[in-house]
Amino acid sequence: MTEIILEYISKILSNEQLEDELQAEDDLLGGGILDSLGMMKLILFIEEKFNVKVPPEDMTIENFMTVDHITTYLNKK
Amino acid sequence: MISTFPQSLKAAALKHPKHTAFRCGSTDISYNQLDEKTDQLASHLCSIGVKKGDKVGVYMNRCIETSIAIYGIMKTGAAYVPIDATLPLTRVAYLLNDCEIEHLVSIPLLNRKHSALAAYQTPLKSILGSSAELNIDSTTWDDIFNTSIHNLDEVNIEADDLAYIMYTSGSTGFPKGIMHTHYSGLNYAKLSINHFNLTNDDILANHAPLHFDISTLGYFAGPLACATTVIVTDAHTKMPTSLANLIATEKITLWYSVPLALVQMLQTGILEQLDLSALRLVLFGGEVFTNKYLSELMHLLPKPSFYNIYGPAEVNQCTSYHVKNPPEDKTILPIGKVWEDTDYLIFDKNDQNVADGEIGELLIHSTTRMKGYWNNLELTKKSSYNQTFENSFRIYHRTGDLVRIDDAGELLFMGRNDRQVKIRGYRIEIDEIEACIAQNNEVSEVAVVIVETIEKEKEICAIIIKKENSTLSDKDIKTFCKAQIPVYAVPQRIEFMDSFPRTGSEKIDRNRIIEMLTK
Repeated sequence: MTEIILEYISKILSNEQLEDELQAEDDLLGGGILDSLGMMKLILFIEEKFNVKVPPEDMTIENFMTVDHITTYLNKK
Repeated sequence: MISTFPQSLKAAALKHPKHTAFRCGSTDISYNQLDEKTDQLASHLCSIGVKKGDKVGVYMNRCIETSIAIYGIMKTGAAYVPIDATLPLTRVAYLLNDCEIEHLVSIPLLNRKHSALAAYQTPLKSILGSSAELNIDSTTWDDIFNTSIHNLDEVNIEADDLAYIMYTSGSTGFPKGIMHTHYSGLNYAKLSINHFNLTNDDILANHAPLHFDISTLGYFAGPLACATTVIVTDAHTKMPTSLANLIATEKITLWYSVPLALVQMLQTGILEQLDLSALRLVLFGGEVFTNKYLSELMHLLPKPSFYNIYGPAEVNQCTSYHVKNPPEDKTILPIGKVWEDTDYLIFDKNDQNVADGEIGELLIHSTTRMKGYWNNLELTKKSSYNQTFENSFRIYHRTGDLVRIDDAGELLFMGRNDRQVKIRGYRIEIDEIEACIAQNNEVSEVAVVIVETIEKEKEICAIIIKKENSTLSDKDIKTFCKAQIPVYAVPQRIEFMDSFPRTGSEKIDRNRIIEMLTK
């Protein structure tokens, strides 16, 4: 799961040319990796790929700050 | 009498020393602390040779240090130049060269960029707030906050001195710097305070990054009113649910942003569950707010007053429209009337007033007008119109925006007289994107157009004729653009054609291309 999300972000969404490989603990929100539309696309991707529904109230910093946070959140569902 | 930004901060620190000036995430800074820390930053800057008239870059994400940086820089008599932390490095290097910036104030989060930037050919001598190992000087924030304060009273700052230079997209392929003085910036703050009755009880949400002119409300009017400005973190701007929660928990009284941020919060569906009773003003500007969404939002939030704000960065704000009722689907929401100390003209192509109700270019004369474009006298002249009277004259700024007056005497925005567009509030010159792509060796010809997607979103589309034997892909073009221009200006859609449709005069027929793309 972690690998799939990491690959999608690095290949499709990232705004910046990443110097190093994206890590699961990298902050997706604080830096320039994703913008707000990129985050929306990521959530759509996750919903389709893992067949889950992310309700609006779950779209928070706490659940989406890093890929680690995302997988923790998805595993709880 | 307050006539400069350092005086504005000093006055707030005397009057409300313990009141929170800025808050970002869990970090607070009071007016007293802000005054002291900016004295330290200014002292440090003076000690490394920064003097009145210099320009100092502010290279940061949204963070509490932005407030210390801009007031600290202005206390030295230098102007601050905000630099978008997400810009490609070649573009940052361009700005440093164009604006002759020798010192950057930054944050350790950008350490990796500092190292990469130091390799470029620029006038840069030092980076403050960096803990990277650099081949130029660097100083940490801890060092700065250990600086003993020099006597800064000797710096004689006048109202007409430059306070900041804000870069915006330029049609030549290079961005242009808009110069504002303490006079024009402070007048904007004063007019905002009067117009919206801001007091020290207000809590302003600052959603825009520092390099975006909308940020001047929070950073300038906030301290002048001794109010609290909440700097919205980058993370919050990307997570609308958290953003909506922030308005409730911070008890925000004034919200100001581009419409998109409000639409995103609306779409979370959680606004009705939150206690937003403190919110008394919702200001939006930068681009057109779709009536449908604005209407939904106003039904959801009946209490606050909604204002449509208009004004190019060259004059900060200049008109506003109080939206009293949720707009109907087909109406054009006016940009309203000019505010105090501001006059306007509506001109035809021959600089003659248009007849009432006719469309023409809007020209603005105001105390908030910029001093000019940095290092570009020609463009400054081109964008100005001098109206002469018997003993005096008035300078108007030619906005390039087409407007007309409606029956109620309100101004309506009718588009542009050139190829500038606004996408998600960002001001983009289409010519700049074309100039960028044309630099690619494998591109023979390029045309950039804006198309509307099915979801009514504006999308930048580049149509390219490749050179013979070129294997250029759409991904190559995007990567090429990402290295040169801001990410919001990178075309989302790339199409390749063998030839362009042409008009009778052999010009590329862009309207025909748009038709072909939206079919």
